[in-house]
Amino acid sequence: MSALRQVASLVAKDLLLEWRGRTRFLSVVLFGVVTLLLFSFAAGPNTPAMRSGAAGFLVLALLLSSTLGLAESFRLEQEERALEGLLLLPVDPVALFYAKAIGNTLFLLLLAPILTPVALVLYAVSIEPERVAVLLGLWALAAAGLSAPGTLYAAMTSRLRSQDVLLPLLLFPLVVPVLMGAVKATALVLSGDPMSQLGSWVTLLGAFALIYWSVCGLLFPYTVEEGR
Amino acid sequence: MNPQTQPPAVRARGLGRRFGREWALAHVDLELAAGEVLLLAGANGSGKTTLLRLAAGLYRPSSGSIEIFGLDPQQERLACRRQLSMVSHHSYLYDRLTALETLRVWARLAGRTTSDDELLALLATVGLERRPGLEVGGFSAGMRKRLTLLRAKLEQPRLLLLDEPLSALDGEGKRLVERWIVEARAAGIAVLMASHAIERTAPLCDRAVHLERGQVAWLGDGGGLLDRLGEQR
Repeated sequence: MSALRQVASLVAKDLLLEWRGRTRFLSVVLFGVVTLLLFSFAAGPNTPAMRSGAAGFLVLALLLSSTLGLAESFRLEQEERALEGLLLLPVDPVALFYAKAIGNTLFLLLLAPILTPVALVLYAVSIEPERVAVLLGLWALAAAGLSAPGTLYAAMTSRLRSQDVLLPLLLFPLVVPVLMGAVKATALVLSGDPMSQLGSWVTLLGAFALIYWSVCGLLFPYTVEEGR
Repeated sequence: MNPQTQPPAVRARGLGRRFGREWALAHVDLELAAGEVLLLAGANGSGKTTLLRLAAGLYRPSSGSIEIFGLDPQQERLACRRQLSMVSHHSYLYDRLTALETLRVWARLAGRTTSDDELLALLATVGLERRPGLEVGGFSAGMRKRLTLLRAKLEQPRLLLLDEPLSALDGEGKRLVERWIVEARAAGIAVLMASHAIERTAPLCDRAVHLERGQVAWLGDGGGLLDRLGEQR
């Protein structure tokens, strides 16, 4: 069986499991909305301050919500040792990584269009309609940049009781370039880009997404199989 | 390849596995030929599961070596896993999938092109065909075990690794597994099985190994094992 077909089968399985356990997605969305609300309370009734921080608040809310989703994606695999069951089949662990990373990217891609309008309303920010597509493209790159290392670390910590603490501790420092790129690029999309800086931030996001997807794919087998 | 020169299904030489400072398995020499059924007996913690997991490539040996049909389970993982199927203590099931969906996933990943009708027929062999829409989370322990056992049927292995295959099953389920083991043997499939249900499994095996504290304490036939364990009691 080709690796691509294995990836497709695994993604289909993960999407079906996500659909059946969709209350999990709803709880992650709710967590993101609450985080955005808390940031708005922290910034106070100062509209300019909220507007200037809107991009940062939104990206942070997405990052914090994403860790919940990432941790949960491997918790399902550890129940009844389903992951071990997959590894006992003639499945390349690299295919397993890319399937999980694609599933997690889709999860984040669904999260962003829900949290973005909430942030726009809460922080009194408007966006020109023609820039919505740019923002979505940006989120796709940011989601890819977050999900690859997130998948790797979620797998590494999935058998640990302290996963909820360890996952963000390991993941957050690694995704600082993605976080910075996403915040800066989102701010430029929301507040205008008179100096044409958006392209360089998008390139940075794309470059890190590419690096993470390549390196994490190579490292993943070492995290799930003993003795590599 | 000439059958005379075919490598055995399992060949262990000085095999050992350590967890920290404790040796769970040590100095094990073992050979299992195609079509042979070998029973691993021993108390809890005697190394039965460790040996099965070493054969499956889930553990790396701390000493010695193990080969599956001449392949190193660590170096040639995918090639090895195409040869074997393992039924473990764990069900490897997803609670949110139905029995039919579970079989579909396993079949696709095992590289089998199997229609839903064929999968339903397979479910019927273990009495699970009447609830194809019920999620596995609603299954009893025995039903889960029956579904897990079908994995071995789907994978069509040359080596079956069975860890307590009779546990959680009712009388009918146990008879079904016993029949499968006999059929597997007749079909030339090698079976390496760990079990505490010695009275039921010993008559099915060609040879039996009694493990004590991770070492082979005795090797003989199934009848001999029953005598030995009877004397020890």
